[in-house]
Amino acid sequence: MKRNALFFSILVILLLTAFFCDLFVGNAHISIGETWAALWGSSGDVIIDEIVRNYRMPKALTSILAGASLSVAGLLMQTLFRNPLAGPDVLGVSAGAGLGVAILTMLNGSFLYPIISTLGSMSQVIAAVAGAALTLLLILFVSSRINDSITILVLGMIFGYVASAAVTILQSFADPDSLKVFVTWTFGSTSNVTWSKMPIMAGIVVSGILSSFFLQKNLNSLLLGEHYASTVGLNIKSTRIVLITITALVTGTITAFTGPIAFVGVVIPHFARALFGTANHKIVIPGTLLSGSILMIICDIISQIPLSNRTLPINAVTALFGAPMIIWIVLKRKKL
Amino acid sequence: MNRLRIKNNATLFFGIFVFLFIGCTGKQKSSDSFLEGRPHSSTTIKYAKGFRIEHFDEYTRLTILNPWDNSAPYQTYNLYKDNAENNNLPSDGTHLRIPLESIVVNTFAYFDFLDRLGQLDKISGITDGFRVYNPKILRRIAKDSITDLGDPFKMNLEKTLILKPNAILTSAYAQRDQYSERLVQAGIPVIYNLEWMENSPLARAEWIKMIAVFFDKEVEADSIFDQVEKRYLEVKDKVDGVEKKYSVMAGDNFQGTWYVPGGKSFNACLFRDANLNYYYEDDDNSGSIGLDIETILTQFGKADYWFGCTADSYEELNQKDPKYRLLKSVKDKHVFNNKNRVTSSGGNDFFESAIANPDLILSDLIKAVYPELLPQYHFTYIKPLKTDNAL
Repeated sequence: MKRNALFFSILVILLLTAFFCDLFVGNAHISIGETWAALWGSSGDVIIDEIVRNYRMPKALTSILAGASLSVAGLLMQTLFRNPLAGPDVLGVSAGAGLGVAILTMLNGSFLYPIISTLGSMSQVIAAVAGAALTLLLILFVSSRINDSITILVLGMIFGYVASAAVTILQSFADPDSLKVFVTWTFGSTSNVTWSKMPIMAGIVVSGILSSFFLQKNLNSLLLGEHYASTVGLNIKSTRIVLITITALVTGTITAFTGPIAFVGVVIPHFARALFGTANHKIVIPGTLLSGSILMIICDIISQIPLSNRTLPINAVTALFGAPMIIWIVLKRKKL
Repeated sequence: MNRLRIKNNATLFFGIFVFLFIGCTGKQKSSDSFLEGRPHSSTTIKYAKGFRIEHFDEYTRLTILNPWDNSAPYQTYNLYKDNAENNNLPSDGTHLRIPLESIVVNTFAYFDFLDRLGQLDKISGITDGFRVYNPKILRRIAKDSITDLGDPFKMNLEKTLILKPNAILTSAYAQRDQYSERLVQAGIPVIYNLEWMENSPLARAEWIKMIAVFFDKEVEADSIFDQVEKRYLEVKDKVDGVEKKYSVMAGDNFQGTWYVPGGKSFNACLFRDANLNYYYEDDDNSGSIGLDIETILTQFGKADYWFGCTADSYEELNQKDPKYRLLKSVKDKHVFNNKNRVTSSGGNDFFESAIANPDLILSDLIKAVYPELLPQYHFTYIKPLKTDNAL
């Protein structure tokens, strides 16, 4: 117990440190003093205030929320499907969101234009949410009909493949500029979320994460296997639907605001289980949440390192820089 | 009992989740629009359809029209010269004091316009610096007096903001990107250019008048454009009365799809003015048309000339796909690429100054097809493919 408390303290300290580092690191040369002044009052320069408060701050918060929620969503899926390879995207929700954005981007000059023009960049978020919601409805429909988790998992992946196929078809018809806009979206970005968008994203995501805390017992029962869980009084079907809904809403929302972010959701739950040496969700959920946030924020800092004046896509950084960290830990502990 | 509790828990917390999620709402922007008074004059725009310049007593109003939606302009700018805030400006549109002292340019097409207007030194930032051809800009990048802001579709926002430019010039697309929104939020006006939607070379070149307003160089822009127009029409006159017997093919294969210009496009207009037959000349498309190689062979197999090829030599063409050899233009060695003025790192002047020099692009085409009409002229942007022994 003491050991867990120590790990949690370390993770919290790491998260706070990483969060502040993220605020102090960026492409514009702003001194630590100026950043500090901009955070608590004014640096005396409106542009520096703008960068620190309205650019770096929401970006750091988005990283924390994305890391935490995708990791927790991954954990829920791994427990539900009892599959170590499951992640937040197994339900096809990310691919659905991608399809929504692809349709919007490729049809931009058409009848959709007045809508896009009125909504501005929010239109991309709405398209992604619509795509994700459609996939969610499909998967919920399937879940209400089928009483086997593995079948649902396979169908979810099939929905994902169908959505990806539709995206490919749209891409083949697209003009080069639209294609570039879409490809840029698939890179992922934590800087898309402005303060005006933050309440919507944070509202959904935080509700999702909080709900998962209340499901600890159900999740622990599921670890014993569905058959055993039902004998101890768990309503498998309703639990499954709740878990799927939470995961899809959280993943769909994050994907809508930041673009797809891979890797974190699959690997972090393993890392948290390994770190705390338990599969008990009472420990693993907060552990996953903290580790996911930390990894994501570190990746955000790394993605700011300019390579020939370009910043790295966060979707690539999470895997490229996250993988060696995780592999190192696995090699030290000999198992996940 | 236990079963009931777990089920209730799940339902209750799901309810809380839904409640929390529904409780969040976003803000909507509102806009109003009215126009005060009448302009005392407007700038004459002969060819371009995408913008309008009107002069009022205390300000100049530039309207960028919306090609996708006629009901409202894409953007309106009220440009004033006084140092003090002007109280008589209309309430709608972007207010901007001119002449601009510094500008970030997120489009290569305006370098030559700004150069001719003597405003190149006002550029403080650009994107994709490695792809620049303009030697003056390259020198200024090397001296760090111009900052490279990275990918044009994913501009480095922090670096852009810290430059504190008076405005940012960027190509408008059919959607508002989050980068522009962020810049406007930070108080940096975005100037949208839509010259790429114009479908004639002179209309595109006329956008020099649009950018000139921001630097108070309208008179200069008018005279520069008049000269360009005069030269273009002179070159065009040379093919007047010449028998129209050659046909042309354009574009190239990109991952299986061949993009050729639509009949109402800029390139189709150039072909018309160069006295060339083009398969899609009566087509209504102003963008490009995607075709497969079989359609290309059927529709353009007998075309006499091919412009806009991406290969450097006939050997390269043959290596890419031996089917190219079936094309008459390839057999006759009448294939041209746009790589006459390039840098080793990927800069190509065709994507920079060609827009400001429609007379030179037209001369290039005429020189290629009717060399006897322009005996003294040398290719500016286009280049015949290198001949090897491969074919």
